[in-house]
Amino acid sequence: MAMNEDGTPDGTAFGGVPEEETLPCGRELAQVWEQAGTDEPDPHTAGCPHCAEALRALRTLEGVVARARVDEPEERQWDTAALAGRVMDVVRLELRPGRTLALGEDDEDAWIVEAAAARTFRAAVDVLPGVRAGSCRVETDPMSTATAAPSARPPGRLPRGPARVRIEVQVGLSWNLRLVADDVRARIVEAADSELGLRIAAVDVVVADLLDETGRPDEADEEDRLDEELDEEDRLGEGGPR
Amino acid sequence: MPGDRGRAPEETDAPLPHEDALLAVRAAEGDEAAFEALVHRHAPVLLRLATRLLGSPTEAEDAVQEAFVSAWRKLPEFRGDARFGTWMHRIVTNRCLNVLRSRQPVTALDNVPEPQAPEHQVSPTRAAEAHAAVRDLSRAIEGLSPEQRVCWVLRELDGEPYESIAETVGISQEAVRGRVFRARRYLTEAMAGWR
Repeated sequence: MAMNEDGTPDGTAFGGVPEEETLPCGRELAQVWEQAGTDEPDPHTAGCPHCAEALRALRTLEGVVARARVDEPEERQWDTAALAGRVMDVVRLELRPGRTLALGEDDEDAWIVEAAAARTFRAAVDVLPGVRAGSCRVETDPMSTATAAPSARPPGRLPRGPARVRIEVQVGLSWNLRLVADDVRARIVEAADSELGLRIAAVDVVVADLLDETGRPDEADEEDRLDEELDEEDRLGEGGPR
Repeated sequence: MPGDRGRAPEETDAPLPHEDALLAVRAAEGDEAAFEALVHRHAPVLLRLATRLLGSPTEAEDAVQEAFVSAWRKLPEFRGDARFGTWMHRIVTNRCLNVLRSRQPVTALDNVPEPQAPEHQVSPTRAAEAHAAVRDLSRAIEGLSPEQRVCWVLRELDGEPYESIAETVGISQEAVRGRVFRARRYLTEAMAGWR
């Protein structure tokens, strides 16, 4: 079956709609309609009955379209709770392959997925005033395991050892970044210890955004925020908190 | 409605983009609660979009639900080059396009009832008349090809610029203009009785 440009079979509804249509006055219909959407005045159209008729047809359609928009339920009337529930039911059933981190002592067989550890750390950081946590990656600190003998591990399992955390935060403009970074680090070390039983070797705090008081990113700052990115690193040392 | 032309897609109650970016990063790293927050923030706009595109709230819900699930799967690859809302808008639009394409069969022009204005003119209230016109329009829209319909809805109901429609649908701006023109041409014919 012959198909037109839109992939619709010939002889259906669109067979009757010409690609181009010239009005009896010589103007292209498409052009007349396009121009009606702009503010450019056209002396021809103003006095031409054919163009006027074509525009009347368009205005009629636009009038009904405007009415259709008025008739739509308002945005807040959509029931999204049921929809969100169904989406999340599916999402929770899907297993995302992710890395796992070893917990506890060498002879223990306790593991936590990176996403769960990250969630714990973000929640710990979010309680700080003026701070929101974004990306949070957790892995075994390479410096702590460099000398360890390689051991066979199931795929996705990181080598046993103290963890290194890299966390991005949005911080309110008025806060002292160095103090905030210290607080973030302290919260993570504490949460790792009290909630997960995970030893932390280092916490990298990256200030990814500065927010003004309205909670929006500071406009002036956004342009060169990469230049100002504060990448704080603090090695806690082998004897650090566990 | 010429004043509405070419304005940005409706973002009157748009969620704060930086909050979206934060939630999207979290969700990409496997944080389900962050994703749930994104679903709540964006579902209303997307449901309205899908309902406009498909003409059926039930089908729209299915399309938006599937779009969110597919977004969850693709999130780890989402680099945040586009805003989350823009990204979802594209996923929903393309899903709706596929739904329209799979509909059987396309309503032929002959099956679209002739719009009949005279009947309403006996002693109509304006409201009833407007309502009937909207109903006729919905019926006429069913006669558009899926491609024409998507371009026309994004342009005339969502008020998107040709440029962003072209990007969403993945065709040239000229092709979008052509489709919108043919859709208008068809619909003005179908609505001739209301002139």
